[in-house]
Amino acid sequence: MPESRVAPASTAAPVLGTPKGLPIFVRDSAEREDIISRHPDAALVAEWLPLRANLTVIENIALVPQFRLGLSFDDAAAMGLRLLALAGRTECAALRDPDISREDRFVTKLVRGVLMTKPIILVDRPALQLPDIPYPEFLESVLAPLAGEYRNCSILDYAWNAPLYDRPDSDTSG
Amino acid sequence: MSALGDYLVRRGAGFENRLKAWSEVFRFAGVALRGVCARSTYNSATREVVLRQIYFTAWQIIGGYVLFVAIFSLVVTHILAVAARRYGVYEYALEFTLRALVLEVVPLLTALFVALRTGAAISTEVSLMRIRNEIGALERAGIDPVRLELIPRVIGGTFSVLSLTATGVAVSVLCAHFVVTGYRPWSAPSADLRAVVGTVFDGVTMTLLWSKTLLFGLAVTVIPIAESMSAPRKIFFAPIAVLHGMVRLFFAVMLIEVVALVILYA
Repeated sequence: MPESRVAPASTAAPVLGTPKGLPIFVRDSAEREDIISRHPDAALVAEWLPLRANLTVIENIALVPQFRLGLSFDDAAAMGLRLLALAGRTECAALRDPDISREDRFVTKLVRGVLMTKPIILVDRPALQLPDIPYPEFLESVLAPLAGEYRNCSILDYAWNAPLYDRPDSDTSG
Repeated sequence: MSALGDYLVRRGAGFENRLKAWSEVFRFAGVALRGVCARSTYNSATREVVLRQIYFTAWQIIGGYVLFVAIFSLVVTHILAVAARRYGVYEYALEFTLRALVLEVVPLLTALFVALRTGAAISTEVSLMRIRNEIGALERAGIDPVRLELIPRVIGGTFSVLSLTATGVAVSVLCAHFVVTGYRPWSAPSADLRAVVGTVFDGVTMTLLWSKTLLFGLAVTVIPIAESMSAPRKIFFAPIAVLHGMVRLFFAVMLIEVVALVILYA
């Protein structure tokens, strides 16, 4: 049985339901596309925006500061590695896209979105990007430690997935 | 009449498509040349892509390429030397070899070699990048894919063709001298070689040789990229884009060679 790749519970404050991780439930794809088109300045984390297949995770991430800030690869990679470390995913830094898990891929796109320093990060259809895990918990576990690094984040999801975001009552049993 | 009409319509559409493809090649060539000259093209990421392109196109194959050129030059020069001796013009054997082999065949073979190896790889990679929407993802992330992925390949590929051709020319001159001196180059006065090289490689010929090689270098990168970038974003079009790119590249390389010959000898 493969080891679960869900990140360990974070000690940071919960972010789901706050502007740092606000779910937006849409009725259909048209509404979702309308919201995306109304945010042309958003950093998108989406299945249809893949990583460069022949670059490693850290090279994919470093491209953003290399282009935006004109940094050297070493400086840009250091920025990316710091964010990957916050998300607990440094072990995938040297791997290429076909060799990483869906969770690693999601975090790579998210870190790239954080480095784009846009007013908002839009996570498009997390169920499509993370089909094999309880993704609201995973989103909480990666967004919370990164919350200090970005301004706002919205999660575009379909209305029929809304119950997945309901927080279970805290387990108080010893 | 209807069948003839359909045939003419199909031929017309095919001609129009070919015209569009060539206009796309020249449009991208213009974009690439402007990008090469623009200071803003160069940053740590694009320099890395240029270096990788040179590594994979030239450095990785330099040993095998030199060996191939040496063997090919020895064989062709030997054939030319035997023929020259038979017809009593052996004193011109080195000049014949330099004019035919060094100025024409080696640069052409180098361009075709790089086209087969690198042109096909570039075409496939760019096609897949476009089909997978990696190019769209880069744009959305604020990264210009033309600056990052396409122009550095043109620079690296062109530099590689120029440097491989320079290496091939030097190797084939030495091999030709080796054969023409009866495999005893130490016994021939070096002034003879210098005189023949000076006669053959005059200013006009050198200008034409390096202009032709520069065009070869641009062709082996620009044509596959332009073809891949203009193909529809469907997976089954990837092999078609590669096929079209390679066929256009072959004709372009041969056309450049023929025009260069006409200019030199007409």
